[in-house]
Amino acid sequence: MATAARTARMDRVLRPVHHWVWRDGGRRVRKLLAFAEVETDGGRDILRAAEVTPDPLLRRLYLAHAIDELHHGVLFRERGAELLRVSGNGAASLFNGNPLPGGHGLDDVSIQGEADVRLLAFLHVAEKAAAGRFAIYRDLVADDPATLAIFDEILRDEVFHMNYTYTQLARISPRTYRRQVWLARASRLWKRVIRLAAALGAVMGAAGLTVLYFVLLPPFAWVAKRASKREGAGWAPISARTESPPTSQY
Amino acid sequence: MKILGISAHYHDSAAALIVDGVPVAAVQQERLSRHKHDAGFPLEAIEWCLEHAGLATADLDAVVFYERSMLKLERILTCSLRAFPRSWRSFPHAIRNSLGEKAWVRGIIASYLGVPRRRILFTGHHASHAAAAFLTAPTRRAAILTADGVGEWATLTVGRAERGAGGATSIVLDREIRFPHSLGMLYSTFTAYLGFHVNDGEYKVMGLAAYGRPTLCDAVRKVIHRTSDGGFALVPEYFEYHTGASRSFSDAFVDLFGPARHPYDPIDLETDDGRRFADCAASVQRVLEDTLLDIARDLRRQTGLGDLCFGGGVALNGVANARLLAESGFERLFVPPAPGDAGCAIGAALYADRIYFKNRDRDVPDHPFTGPSVDADELARVARDDGQQVEALDDDVLLDRVAGDLAAGRVVGWMDGASEFGPRALGHRSILAAPHAAAMRDRLNRDIKSREEFRPFAPVVRAEDAERYFELPPGGLRLARFMSGVFPVRPEWRARLAAVTHVDGSARVQALEAPMAPRLHALLGAYGERTGVPVLLNTSFNVAGEPIVNRAVEGYSTFRRCGIDALVAGPTLVTKRAGTPPRSMREVYA
Repeated sequence: MATAARTARMDRVLRPVHHWVWRDGGRRVRKLLAFAEVETDGGRDILRAAEVTPDPLLRRLYLAHAIDELHHGVLFRERGAELLRVSGNGAASLFNGNPLPGGHGLDDVSIQGEADVRLLAFLHVAEKAAAGRFAIYRDLVADDPATLAIFDEILRDEVFHMNYTYTQLARISPRTYRRQVWLARASRLWKRVIRLAAALGAVMGAAGLTVLYFVLLPPFAWVAKRASKREGAGWAPISARTESPPTSQY
Repeated sequence: MKILGISAHYHDSAAALIVDGVPVAAVQQERLSRHKHDAGFPLEAIEWCLEHAGLATADLDAVVFYERSMLKLERILTCSLRAFPRSWRSFPHAIRNSLGEKAWVRGIIASYLGVPRRRILFTGHHASHAAAAFLTAPTRRAAILTADGVGEWATLTVGRAERGAGGATSIVLDREIRFPHSLGMLYSTFTAYLGFHVNDGEYKVMGLAAYGRPTLCDAVRKVIHRTSDGGFALVPEYFEYHTGASRSFSDAFVDLFGPARHPYDPIDLETDDGRRFADCAASVQRVLEDTLLDIARDLRRQTGLGDLCFGGGVALNGVANARLLAESGFERLFVPPAPGDAGCAIGAALYADRIYFKNRDRDVPDHPFTGPSVDADELARVARDDGQQVEALDDDVLLDRVAGDLAAGRVVGWMDGASEFGPRALGHRSILAAPHAAAMRDRLNRDIKSREEFRPFAPVVRAEDAERYFELPPGGLRLARFMSGVFPVRPEWRARLAAVTHVDGSARVQALEAPMAPRLHALLGAYGERTGVPVLLNTSFNVAGEPIVNRAVEGYSTFRRCGIDALVAGPTLVTKRAGTPPRSMREVYA
């Protein structure tokens, strides 16, 4: 049974990258605020798990877990906002006034219809990975006692989460719980591959569309701009004769 | 006929089912998926509607989508072309975004639901808004005004509608303002500038406006001009929403109004920046109201009609609605409980029924309770499992107990019957509290709703008592039916209604008639007998960032993790015990 946060080999290899991220004030703020969103989203997902599970004990534990995650979101958000105020870093330079990237904290896992055994295995693996990574982050913010204290508190919680998920997994699936954990690890890895492939696809797609934009669009753009000059501002009549038939998407 | 209406893909997806001309089920996808403003294809909402009515997709005569998706794609492409080459960054995003599910709606619906493609119909976005506003309102003949961010091309339309003597219905929209000129986008741009989420934070701008003075109206009028024909036009130099995907306001906008607020900065009204942000909110609110008012007055003159039906997201602005009612010349103003895009699901289905299929007009229920019902037994079971105190009480006893709890300053989660369709809790999924002390407002904002301290709470009052406490103009009771108007609290009652009186002395009041929510009406009576003031604070049963609760178990999980003291579903009363079960994992293991 897992009892303490252990850092993954990959994270140990990536330690210089983590160091580069955390030593800069702006990146530190961005990271904390992004964590706030992820923890909050994760909390909501676990809350959903509490609402749909038929197991009363799990409902109670999920609820406590969700409350922890939502609390972590608040801690990260408050600290990020405080550092932002202290740094005087403006909105435009960081986020352009847009909300932070969201995404559901539990790796897009579908809570509805997910069996508790799979969810617990998934949670256990995710919490273990998070605890390992947060342990690195805690070391990297040693110069910032307030942020360090937050990581300390969250790390303690993550260890509880890691342990209860494992214990409950063993309770509800005593014969297959080890296999479930391995399946969750494999699934997590596969999702990373898919995400990487999707990201690569998106980059390639964007590059292709950008080429099309500059190669194909200029004449159409010229026509569209000329047409727009003929359009007056203010009211435009709606003609009943031009109304499309009900089956038309145009 | 059985017609399913769908709105999806931008924000607040929803499904609505009408059978023989009457809505029998309508629910927003977010209430079932539990993701706020869920914009995905509303499969769960559709399944619930069909199951509720005992129908299969094969039974449907038509499925109606609330807008013409290819026309929308045309607008997006055209805007990209017009902004060439500035749009090079946003173009790939816009194309990928539009050519996913959004453009191929017919195929998506056919594949999800297995209905023949010929049964899949489309309405115009603003026609759906118009139908949602007119065909759900108790009026025979009315002028129509719709305003939102943007539909296909239109952002604001006017027209008229009539229920004919023979049961025939006509809805004619005759003029429109076209994108990028948009009152909704103007307001949303200020919402983003003030650091709030677009399509979610507009309420906050309206709430913040009361703290400011409209000293920046001249600056706002630099970004929106009135045109000689009585319309308006936004000045493109100040906006980027039509050219880029990253932000909606330009550097020129920032030069005019000052630096934007960061979403994580608190609004401190003691500082210059805080006051500037409040003044910005007050100014854009004033300009929005003035513009709408001019358009409505013009519409009143042209149509000569006494009733106005107002739909679209802008109709959620209760302050503007109250001014429209008081100053536009219309005698009655009808705003549906879901005037935004979710309501288009009902609007599209009704439009198809009355206009496409020319079915006879039917009166539709004048309430928003078309969603899933709460299961009191489920609440009792879940709460008992968790070691809470659960009681099943007769209604008289329960109402008396709850009134006593409220009078003693406790906060009550209230779930009753079918859930509301639309963004407002109108008495079936509400958090209720005593309205008398400002401390209650602060407690709710801080400990329960986790939201900004400047945001006000709404009161609910029995319709027969409303005018005693609130200054309602003629027609105000109707507007207050669905909490669609903001009206002054009578000065002599402001001190005793401090938790629901905003800083400018106003309140977004709900005037409740007994047939609409009889148990809440009776609770108001019981509370009034105890305190002498039959008014309660009524806020939506959710916490910040989450949709309003739907099932009993969702109400319970919200109750357990915030400062709500008691929870009611039907006859079941759950009281939070002192030393309630642990709230965090460390306490569980302690």
